[in-house]
Amino acid sequence: MTDALRKHGRGLLVFAVAAYALPLLLAGNRYFAFIGGIALLHVVWTAGMSLLYGYAGLMPLMFAGIAGISAYAAVGLMAAGFAFWTALPVAALFAALVGVGLGLPALRLKGFYFTLCSLVIQTVITLAFVYFVNLTNGDTGISQIAPPAWFGGPLQGVGFDLVLATLAVGAMVALVLIVEAPFGRRLVAVREDDELAEMLGIDVVRQKLAAFFVGSLFAAVGGAFYAPYVGFVSPRSFDVLLSLNIWLMVAFGGRGTIWGAVVGTVLLAPLPFLLQDYYKVKDVIYGLLIIGVIVLLPGGILGGLGSRAAAGTGTQSPGLRRKEAA
Amino acid sequence: MPTELVLISTLFTGLMLGVIFSLVAAGVTIIYGSIWMPNAANGQFFLLAALALWSAAVSWGLHPVVAALLVIGASVPASLLLEQMLIRRFYDVPNRNVSYFVLSLGITQILAGLFSVTYGVWSDQFQIPPLMAGITFLGPFPVSNSRLAALVTGVALLAALFALLRYHKYGRAIRAVFQNRDAASLRGVNVRAIYRLSFVLGNLVVAAGGVLYAFAYSFDLSVSWSMSITAFAIMIIGGPGSVVGAVAVGMVFGFTQAIVSAFASPTVATFSYLGAMLLILLMKPSGLFAR
Amino acid sequence: MTGRVPLFEAEGIVMRFGGVVALRKVSVTQFEGETLGMIGPNGSGKTTFVNVVTGHLAPQEGRVRVAGAEVTGFRPHRMAAAGITRTYQAVRVFRELTVADNIATATVDAPNRMDADEIAATLDWLQLGHRLAVPAGSLTLFEQRRLEILMRLVQRARLIMLDEPVGGLSATEVRAMLQVLGDLRRRTGLFVIEHAMKVIRELADSVVVMLAGEKLMQGTPAEILADKRVVDQYLGRAHA
Repeated sequence: MTDALRKHGRGLLVFAVAAYALPLLLAGNRYFAFIGGIALLHVVWTAGMSLLYGYAGLMPLMFAGIAGISAYAAVGLMAAGFAFWTALPVAALFAALVGVGLGLPALRLKGFYFTLCSLVIQTVITLAFVYFVNLTNGDTGISQIAPPAWFGGPLQGVGFDLVLATLAVGAMVALVLIVEAPFGRRLVAVREDDELAEMLGIDVVRQKLAAFFVGSLFAAVGGAFYAPYVGFVSPRSFDVLLSLNIWLMVAFGGRGTIWGAVVGTVLLAPLPFLLQDYYKVKDVIYGLLIIGVIVLLPGGILGGLGSRAAAGTGTQSPGLRRKEAA
Repeated sequence: MPTELVLISTLFTGLMLGVIFSLVAAGVTIIYGSIWMPNAANGQFFLLAALALWSAAVSWGLHPVVAALLVIGASVPASLLLEQMLIRRFYDVPNRNVSYFVLSLGITQILAGLFSVTYGVWSDQFQIPPLMAGITFLGPFPVSNSRLAALVTGVALLAALFALLRYHKYGRAIRAVFQNRDAASLRGVNVRAIYRLSFVLGNLVVAAGGVLYAFAYSFDLSVSWSMSITAFAIMIIGGPGSVVGAVAVGMVFGFTQAIVSAFASPTVATFSYLGAMLLILLMKPSGLFAR
Repeated sequence: MTGRVPLFEAEGIVMRFGGVVALRKVSVTQFEGETLGMIGPNGSGKTTFVNVVTGHLAPQEGRVRVAGAEVTGFRPHRMAAAGITRTYQAVRVFRELTVADNIATATVDAPNRMDADEIAATLDWLQLGHRLAVPAGSLTLFEQRRLEILMRLVQRARLIMLDEPVGGLSATEVRAMLQVLGDLRRRTGLFVIEHAMKVIRELADSVVVMLAGEKLMQGTPAEILADKRVVDQYLGRAHA
């Protein structure tokens, strides 16, 4: 544990300083400060996606759906009179458990089939957000979500930004501790060759499940904070494009590197807000970047895995069944 | 009698949707079966064809038949260009289906963004002028001749596709590649040429589906995503790479959609497709019509 | 020769794939301290048998016992915990990871792993000590084969099932590998699938001959080489 912190200590320190400085530097302009806050929130998400995609080799397109379940649950609990700080752990745990419950059968599948299955689950979740109007207010969404209480007053402005900075730093510390632990080594083994990993004594299904739970928890905590920070949630806030974009931030920054996800997030998360009126162009830019990463930059810009043939592959091994069996 | 009316109308809608679903899913499964590309952008290609038809027929004022032939014909150079630029780069990558899947999601996002900043500002419902005037009565149920023509064309296209795959030498080569790439290449089939051909053929069939859909129904931009999901569900359930499976399950889905839409919201139909696809993925990932 | 303590017992294994029967009632017992060889033409069920014993496939019928304990249908990670491990026909290491990381990965879930000194000594013996920082994918094939063995040894595997361990190696490397395997049999149980009779003759105390999913016979290398059926069915063709 201390080894991990020593190894990444300088990086964590730099990140923490930057994360806390950002809201203070942007405090003069509420809109830019908000964009900064959104980027910090995305760091929590990309940390979780980094664990799942970068280390475990899973590409969960239902990631945004889990964040959404947590966001709606938190809003629902707050509407029922609970304080945000009570709603947060309940909603996050609930969403992560739902995520594991939905993902459990899919975890038996490999590569494309897992990804497709996660896309189907994401689509079901989005449809459910639209369909269960009395819980979610349907397509209209829920607006004017009250900010959390904080020492007697509402948490907003720079204060909320600093809380998000703390959250982002916490997420990165957690990611470092996880991937530098034996658990991280098991996940990398599963990503590189799950059959070989299993043969060497690693319980692949259990490791994937654990990774999925932890990754979902990151998604869910981010989602629960998203609701009061933005003040508005709708099914579109948590659709498959968000999953894909969070994946892009990790893949673009550098799969399987700690700081690649952060770099990708800082570069890409503010984009839709900076484009303002042309924010739809964001889809085109993100789409082009996805293709660019897959074709040109399989290792991402911080890619330690530069020589990899193609980024999207979970490097799943070919089936064991040999010609002899046929 | 109203029940008879409902029955015939449901049957007709089921047939119409079934033929369109079958065409699109057949296109998707041909591409997956040969080059191993699960094209999530199929719904966007479908919509692109429908929108291009609308532009050609409405904005440029071309005769609908000319416009339709133009759109379907244009899919060939477009597919070849895409194949040249992107698709062929991955022909030799192991586990390329994940790369392709992500790539096609990127294409989906680009096209969705482009449509919403272009067509999205024009209108939210698109309607093509009818192919021909008049109405035919199927019992008590009136059908526009235009829609009837779309149905007949769709059935003819499906028949032509089957004939091509079964009897033409290119079709047989495509099927040989579906079954076993190595064996096909040993028998002197140029596998890369077949990949290219399958990509072109698959997209052509998807474009034809989009054109027929545009003739039969007015549509909006949201049709793309539901088509993508539906075509994937059909492909997975029918068995990836099985054209027979795609058509059989496509017809079942068409009738399911028609029946469910008559009694409940279309969301229920989508839920049921997704549920069916999940079940198959978990129980029998090779699909019902696995070779 | 041995105390006749069984290392693993496979009893009446039946393995079918769809309509194809890959193994028909195959029973094999390997004793502690014994090296078992398995030969047979392609498609005779050798690799399938290894897949069953190491938990990659669950047999439709039959039992597998390790040191007397029933392990039929255990997944590979539990077989590994029981000390039963294997290598693959096509060499298989974590190609993107360094040699050191490969070794660390092999020990991460091994209950009985070696300590650092023992690992260092084993590295020396297999002449991989100077390659620790290299990605395993850039090693030569022979080095990768040695790394595969090393990764099982650091777990203190009780049995390593080797699927064609000299496949793809040059004549010089085959000789060197034979030396490695000769030493290895003093450290752990070995089960060797091999086409090269030279390897079987030098290593195996006892040889199982497979034919069309059945165990044709079992005996010492000298016995099986003297058997007319073996010569006709297998060696006759292989050496033609």
